[in-house]
Amino acid sequence: MKILALETSAKTASAAVVTEGKVLGVTSVTAGLTHSQTVLPLADALLKGVSASLQELDGFAVSTGPGSFTGLRIGISAVKGLAQGLGKSCAGVSTLEGLAWNFQGLSYTVCPVMDARCGQVYTSLFWVNGGAPQRLWEDMAISLEALREKLQSVEGDVMLVGDGAELAFSALSGSGKVLLSPPALRYQSAASVGFAALARFAAGETVSPAELLPAYLRLPQAERELLAREAGKKG
Amino acid sequence: MMNFTSHSPAETEKIGAQLARMLRPGDVVAFRGGMGAGKTAFTRGMASVLSPDAEVASPTFALINDYGGKVPFWHFDMYRITTMDDLYSTGFFDYLEMGGILAVEWSENIDAALPDGTIYVDIRITGEEERAITIGSRKGGGAG
Repeated sequence: MKILALETSAKTASAAVVTEGKVLGVTSVTAGLTHSQTVLPLADALLKGVSASLQELDGFAVSTGPGSFTGLRIGISAVKGLAQGLGKSCAGVSTLEGLAWNFQGLSYTVCPVMDARCGQVYTSLFWVNGGAPQRLWEDMAISLEALREKLQSVEGDVMLVGDGAELAFSALSGSGKVLLSPPALRYQSAASVGFAALARFAAGETVSPAELLPAYLRLPQAERELLAREAGKKG
Repeated sequence: MMNFTSHSPAETEKIGAQLARMLRPGDVVAFRGGMGAGKTAFTRGMASVLSPDAEVASPTFALINDYGGKVPFWHFDMYRITTMDDLYSTGFFDYLEMGGILAVEWSENIDAALPDGTIYVDIRITGEEERAITIGSRKGGGAG
């Protein structure tokens, strides 16, 4: 089985072609251009590089959020269009789950953390035991303080991953049970999204292009409405 | 902190152009000042430097106008933005990281989300045509 995966949830746009247990190819660009300009040429070059045609792919995968609003929409729209045109299936992978897949095959409790601004983080928890990550928590948007409390009830050390991992590490390291992932495994990767998608395809858990939707995580009510009230306080 | 007095929209435009010459990629210019203060005139002046071919109008309904330019110049209107979700779905946070210049009308509405280093342009109506314009790095400039 061969899948093309796109990852555009942050500053880097990347594409990967994966098959069972193997990355056939991966390309990535962090050039400050909008993903709308980079992601399709990237995928095109990648397919040429691995001598695969769009037609022979078994399906498409994309990270569906949380993440950059425009980035997510570009990646998801691109996959929707490709899959619709070719009559193929898709798998939408939570950006947080994709990060946990960076640790596929290792043995850690993995806590993906993405900075959601205003002291909030997007987070989740996965148990990786030498194979595929198993989900322990739903994806959520909570304060760093709330994350600290939730982690108290988790047994053993927790590996922090994602663009908010450093932020969380400095805030939580006092509690002594957090580890900071190595830089090479810390950020979103189209290959990891592809591997997560392979598991979905194997389990028959794919969706049609029309069913593929972004999953923006909403901040808690209080933080959502904080915008102008803060203004009053500071002004 | 810089203080200016403008006596006409044309003069307000000139002050905008003056500021624009000092801006660098990534700068955020946040306006404070009500209806009819001259925020759009000021932005038009900025655009005359940053993106000379652009037609500037307040993006009340579009929320964002993209004026292009060598360094991209974007014009936001936050009048109808009241929650973090609203703001997120304008793509504001993405624009902040794209190395262009942002002019933000009704920035009062998104105060909590403005980045460090934001340049505040406070425009007060002091007469029929007269405006007191304060440009500075502190919120509320000479207004309070």
